[in-house]
Amino acid sequence: MPALPHDDIYQLVREPIDMVALASRVRAPEDGAIVTFDGFVRNQSHNRATLYLDYEAYESMAIAKMREIGDQLHEKYRIHRVAIVHRLGRLEIGETSVFIAVSAPHRAAAFDACRFAIDTLKRTVPIWKKEYFVDGAVWADGELPPVPAATLRAKPAS
Amino acid sequence: MPLAPPRTAGYNSLVLPVTQAIRVKVLLFGRLKELTGYCEDSIELADATTIERLFALYSARHPELAKYRSSVVASRNQEFAAWETALRAGDEVAFLPPVSGG
Repeated sequence: MPALPHDDIYQLVREPIDMVALASRVRAPEDGAIVTFDGFVRNQSHNRATLYLDYEAYESMAIAKMREIGDQLHEKYRIHRVAIVHRLGRLEIGETSVFIAVSAPHRAAAFDACRFAIDTLKRTVPIWKKEYFVDGAVWADGELPPVPAATLRAKPAS
Repeated sequence: MPLAPPRTAGYNSLVLPVTQAIRVKVLLFGRLKELTGYCEDSIELADATTIERLFALYSARHPELAKYRSSVVASRNQEFAAWETALRAGDEVAFLPPVSGG
């Protein structure tokens, strides 16, 4: 098991995300690169003009899953620190909904890790967005997270 | 042909099989929450009831839920869980529509 990183940041927030502050918190003298991902609200969805989005989460599980992603990053890539922050509630067009920053001694690992983090977040973290249009609202199409196969666990010894 | 055990009344015959009742917390999110009108519930079940059975119980209360069965995953105590998972006292089960964060 790798040494546990203690400077990582995993947050669900209801205020605007301060990307500059987060990027500076993953930055350290031994690093040579930070790769960030800024996901923000698009003004249309399936050719319908979006008014705004509303995000909700299963908060305790979402934070746990975000940490799991961070743990995977540290196992898979030679990186230093990770910040993963998702915003909840009502977000207007152009506002950042998710921000990820990964620092590393060298850029390749940071790029790979950041890409892995956002792709995995979109598949496994229990967060949902509802899209509001002039003429109604829909829950966004999402992805069904992979679920472990059923296992016949032995009963605990009594 | 083996004989079925006699069903005559012994002194144990009035004792039901021992299945302890357990209480679990149930959470619903996204469209499932809108459909049922609540996001959190608590329900009493027989010990070792499966998640599948629990969803069926809620579908009986809210028939519209049934059509989402194939597009829902479940979690038990904040971990994704198979439908066959047997529940224990104090478990927290959530029914989760396809996730769409980011």
